[in-house]
Amino acid sequence: MNALRHAFVFVVAFLVALPFIWMAYAAFIPPELIFSGNILGQFGFSLENFAVLSQGGFWEGFWGRLLYSVLLTGGVTLLQLLTAFLAAYAIREGAKVLPLFLIMMAIPVELLLVPLYGLLQNLRLLDSIWALILPFAASPFIVYLMFQGMRTVPEELLEAARLDGADHRVLLSQILFPLLRPQLIAAGVLAFAAHWNLVLYPRIVAGSDDLKTVQTWITDLQRQNPADWGPLSAAALAATLPLVIIYLIYERRIVETFEEGLKG
Amino acid sequence: MRRSNAQWFALPAVGLLGLFLLYPFLDVIRFSTWDWSGLSDPRPIGLENYATIWRDPDFWGSLRITLIFGVMTLIPFVILSVLLALALDGQPYERGVKALLFLPGLVTLGGATVAWYTLFSPEYGALASILPVPRWDQSQVWALILIMLFTIWRHLGYGVLVVSARLKAIPRALLEAAAVDGATASQAFRFITLPLLRPALTFLVVIGTVLSLQSYTAVFLLTRGGPFGGTEVLGYFLYKTGFESSRLGYAAALTVVILILTLSFALAQARLLRGNDDRENA
Repeated sequence: MNALRHAFVFVVAFLVALPFIWMAYAAFIPPELIFSGNILGQFGFSLENFAVLSQGGFWEGFWGRLLYSVLLTGGVTLLQLLTAFLAAYAIREGAKVLPLFLIMMAIPVELLLVPLYGLLQNLRLLDSIWALILPFAASPFIVYLMFQGMRTVPEELLEAARLDGADHRVLLSQILFPLLRPQLIAAGVLAFAAHWNLVLYPRIVAGSDDLKTVQTWITDLQRQNPADWGPLSAAALAATLPLVIIYLIYERRIVETFEEGLKG
Repeated sequence: MRRSNAQWFALPAVGLLGLFLLYPFLDVIRFSTWDWSGLSDPRPIGLENYATIWRDPDFWGSLRITLIFGVMTLIPFVILSVLLALALDGQPYERGVKALLFLPGLVTLGGATVAWYTLFSPEYGALASILPVPRWDQSQVWALILIMLFTIWRHLGYGVLVVSARLKAIPRALLEAAAVDGATASQAFRFITLPLLRPALTFLVVIGTVLSLQSYTAVFLLTRGGPFGGTEVLGYFLYKTGFESSRLGYAAALTVVILILTLSFALAQARLLRGNDDRENA
């Protein structure tokens, strides 16, 4: 019975890990092997697929798009954390807007493509970088996670600081910010992943070449050359690895923060 | 005095979300009464879009596919989540496996689909070189199974976390008392663990239904609605209508219909599952 249990977990874990293992290997398969059709029969290692990615101008090519996406998503993540941190503080200090955020958490963002497109058109933000930033500068989910963290800070601590003459700025930057660092990191990784993984939305509201995110770049490449998947796999690995590394570093905090959110 | 002015710190978040989330959410109703391509000026046509949806065979076909997809994804998803959460509970590798299961939901969607595509593609895929891969590019059933597997792969970690959080809340003493009274492991599961897991299961079923009614990214990336429209779920139908056929007004009306469908499904399920609960307690 117990052996069965271990075997079950092992099989599922293996199947879940399989695409990752494959992704890591496929990026280094020599092109001859791919075209020969004998992919798993032989072992090979080559960096050629990455060389293909470096062709062409930097900013139009893969690495430029990757750098642009990291900066863009990183910036959006910082904005989201900032707005959420401030809002969570306001809620803790008695602003009665928590129900509003909880309602907005239930709104399915994925379905709002059409009205958001209309709004961005009216604001003349279509096909500008703001279309990728402003709608994501605040997230109700991140506000909720930050508030969950801020709730655990004892009131006496803040009260004592206030008696010493601390104003909002000092409370936020000197006391709450260091205390909430673990939650900020966990929420930051989740926020980063959510924006990084947008596929359809950037394509629709900011489709021009200089605004293309790395996701759009990869899906375009996949559509143009579905059979030539050596470079495709290299691009997939390079675009996934940063996130996997960040996740593995903070994995315990992230899973815990998520579980806390589920309990609340 | 100081406490009251802290409220202003909520302003950036409330303002941004009000403009980019709440307002579009309400505005979609106004768009849905327009004949509008995005480029031309909108022309108000009242409720005609809704009448067109009612008569649109593509809509009904898509709804049917969505429901089939929802059922065939939800059942294995919930069962696997429960089994895994139970199997993992208290094991030395619990944390590591949970971390691994959670990973697919976070990683780059584009990258993940590339890995799936190169692995499972029946023509050029790696698996195809050692064993026959079903032609999911030609058969609707296999295409749906592929999307189902991909969807479960991405969300399984979340499902396990939900069940596991609930599992940890069950007092050990309860199960020990049952064992003392001579209950077998399967009896303890049937009469203690399972009923106490019900809230988590309700949550998963409702969330799962909502997600499957709205999911389309996996379809967009793996099958593009094909073969022959066989995986055209509502979310993808919506995207295609709005942004490939440029019928934004019609797509807005579809959004409203999908929202209403989602809401009524979720409410009905929540009530149904809670209803069972009451009966058992009585």
